[in-house]
Amino acid sequence: MSYPVELHSLTKTYGERTVVDRVSFHVGQGEIVGFLGPNGAGKTTTLRMIAGYLAPTSGQVTVAGHDVISSPTASAAAVGYAPERPALYESFDVLGYLHFVARAKRVRRADTASQLDRVVSACRLEAVARSEVYKLSKGYRQRLGLAQALLGQPEVLLLDEPTSGLDPGQISETREVIRSFGHDQSVLLSTHILPEVTLLCDRIAILHHGQLLAIDSPAGLATAVGRANRVELQVAAGEPSDLKERLLDISGVIRVDVDDRQVPYAVNCAVDSSGNVEAAIARAVARDWDLLALRRHDPSLEDVFLHYVEGAA
Amino acid sequence: MSGVLAVYGKEIKLYFRSPIAYFVLAVFLLGTGYFFSYNLFVSGLATMRETFQNMGLLAVILLPVVSMRLFATEYSAGTYELLATLPLAPWQVVLGKYLGALTMLVLMAFGTVLDLVPLYLFGAPETSTIFSGYLGFLLLGSACLAIGQLCSSLTENQIVAALVTVSILLGFWFVGHLQSFQTVQFLRELFLYVSFAWHFGEFIEGLARFESLALFVLFAAGALILNVCALEWRR
Repeated sequence: MSYPVELHSLTKTYGERTVVDRVSFHVGQGEIVGFLGPNGAGKTTTLRMIAGYLAPTSGQVTVAGHDVISSPTASAAAVGYAPERPALYESFDVLGYLHFVARAKRVRRADTASQLDRVVSACRLEAVARSEVYKLSKGYRQRLGLAQALLGQPEVLLLDEPTSGLDPGQISETREVIRSFGHDQSVLLSTHILPEVTLLCDRIAILHHGQLLAIDSPAGLATAVGRANRVELQVAAGEPSDLKERLLDISGVIRVDVDDRQVPYAVNCAVDSSGNVEAAIARAVARDWDLLALRRHDPSLEDVFLHYVEGAA
Repeated sequence: MSGVLAVYGKEIKLYFRSPIAYFVLAVFLLGTGYFFSYNLFVSGLATMRETFQNMGLLAVILLPVVSMRLFATEYSAGTYELLATLPLAPWQVVLGKYLGALTMLVLMAFGTVLDLVPLYLFGAPETSTIFSGYLGFLLLGSACLAIGQLCSSLTENQIVAALVTVSILLGFWFVGHLQSFQTVQFLRELFLYVSFAWHFGEFIEGLARFESLALFVLFAAGALILNVCALEWRR
């Protein structure tokens, strides 16, 4: 079975520097995959190789069953790519620009008008449809970049930081567009905004120093890094070293940090995700100390991300 | 072919939505108009020979301004990322852009047709020589534009592209003069054979020789093929 996007050991090097290092994964039909990674992780380079803008040094990319290197035109026809910096012709008006992209994507003349209406409406560009591109605000430019990617109903959408620089209202609208198109099309989305990935993506790929550290659903990643679960306590005065020993004796408690600089003490326990360890902690502390508060933190996406990135570092 | 036409349409729009097309056309027509009027009314030469000569030199200097932006601005503005990821083969992009530039060349040549009116009114020019001159001008321009487009594909700076193109074209224009300094027969022939001015001069004299036609076509085709290779290499 072939997936809309498949990467096999994809590598890109510039001289001695490896920017993308043997990355392999796939994007399923109608799936939205979020691409997470710090700056310089290789996200944009990977997207550019999938889009056919850059050739891999080694490895293989197939889009809709077409090899990006041996069948570049066929694979490009299946991709809608919105670069981080929208690639716009400043002197064109919005409709003129979209019309050019539609022609280049070989949208049939009979379908051009309806497709233009569809993407203009989806990206809320009606108000600026006749405006020259150089007059557009950053938000409209970003949406125009997204609109051109949607033209031709490509099987795969590659979106590089599609909401960067937008205001909260525009971000919400853009996410809605991506979500609506994500039902029919496969989407690979690169972003720095962690909540965006949680809100939009079925799976998350974490890239760091060009290497794919993990790819799974948000819940799957949280489970996989379960060791990062934390239990926070507030304990009234007592001997802090005894408290630490008592907590470390509990099965499932991995590490204990006690901040005894002020009363009540703030205690932070790293715990195993398995079992109900917080009940055991509560019982053990309440025997000899006044337990004022206890709260368990499941790992956020930020925790997950930092776990992988710091672990790799 | 639809991909070529899409790129061609975009190029034509871009030319006429920037001042470059109007500037080049205006300077070229003013320049040729001035020389034509001078030759006709001051020197009393009711032929296109001198005007063609001036048109050729003006083309060598002005056509790099037409070709300089073809790829350099796409790179610097980031729009090449769009072009390269649309379902267009590199040759389609190269050909579409080249046809757009050729349209500018044809418009430049067409603008000078007006000069023929007083020529036929006050003189008896040879129509076949005029046709031959225009053919030579278009062939010379085609080679210049292809070389300029190749230079533009190698840099992100359009000024650099224009300066390198002008240097190359002036080199090929004046290289024929070097033959008089050469004692080696092969070099004398080589410098003459690659001289744009000499081959263009043949057309102006009414000699539309295959050898001259082939030289300009070979230069244009070679530059366009290298242009496609340059785009492939950028990946």
